[in-house]
Amino acid sequence: MIRRTNVSVNRGRGGPFKRNPEKRKMKELNITSLIDILTILLVFMIKNVSMDATSRMIPQGMEMPTTITREKLVESGQAVVVKIYPNKILYGRENIMVGTLKEFVKDEEIRNTLVNYLKMEADQISKTVNSEGANNIPCLLIQADKTLDCKYISYFIRTSARVGFANIYFSTIHSENKEEVLNL
Amino acid sequence: MAIAPSRRSRITKQDPREPNLIPIMNLFIVVIPMLMTMMVAVHLSMLEITLSTGSGGGGQTEEKEAPPKEITLGLFTDKFELKVEGTKDVIQIPIDKKEYPQYNYVKLDESIAELKRENERQNAIKIVPDPKVKFDTLLRTIDICKDNGFPDIIYSPPVTKHYRVK
Repeated sequence: MIRRTNVSVNRGRGGPFKRNPEKRKMKELNITSLIDILTILLVFMIKNVSMDATSRMIPQGMEMPTTITREKLVESGQAVVVKIYPNKILYGRENIMVGTLKEFVKDEEIRNTLVNYLKMEADQISKTVNSEGANNIPCLLIQADKTLDCKYISYFIRTSARVGFANIYFSTIHSENKEEVLNL
Repeated sequence: MAIAPSRRSRITKQDPREPNLIPIMNLFIVVIPMLMTMMVAVHLSMLEITLSTGSGGGGQTEEKEAPPKEITLGLFTDKFELKVEGTKDVIQIPIDKKEYPQYNYVKLDESIAELKRENERQNAIKIVPDPKVKFDTLLRTIDICKDNGFPDIIYSPPVTKHYRVK
């Protein structure tokens, strides 16, 4: 009786049996170590991730000043972000183009547009209530390029103060090294 | 009951089954790039300022202690100027011209620390920046003040008034 096996053999010209390489069983790749690394990476990234992208990320193309002190927004405060570049002003999380700095200083219409935006947003924030039942406080968060002249910042602060923003914050890059701030 | 020899050998030779890791790998491949885009590489912070208000009158009449002296810090394009209310002396810290002109933040840090020691009850400092001073200088100065025990920064830009001659 002939016994059938899974091994294909070459019996063409006699001689010893040879295993057919095509039918050799493929070895599976062991990915357990890779999974281990990815799990560690995943945990590390979840720990470092921040959901509030607008106030945590440096605006593109902006050089921000470095400071060692850091403060938090006033309790139940909600920030309205304004980005001041040397050549443009962007308003809010949607980066609405307001105009250039020179236009902002000279053109009253552009100033009024920004004032209206700020007023609208401040009213909306004041109407909302936080989890403890208190009304939210509108805060202005200014993200400005470090090469800007103070006159633009002052101008901007005066404009926003007219609308009723009492809490004004400057956004900076945090550093633990005081020597960096002291220019050493 | 006895097991047939052929069947018995098949049972003993069976290997333990490995878990299928491909769905987990798929999940990781999606989640990790997403988290990498959201990861914070640079930590941002915030500095609060207070706006200057008109000098308020009134107040409590039964105050025993005198109110703390007002400290004003002027930022100019060529120097810092520190002035304490009620004193005629003005501390001037000119820019350092040794290598290339730059503000002397070290001297400013020392002067403010000394002022804090002399005026322990004062927590506020009034900053008056020249319009041409850079934003970077303003924020470094605010930072130095806050670090030396002046958490309340009163931002008071100089107001220019124009009069028309008739």
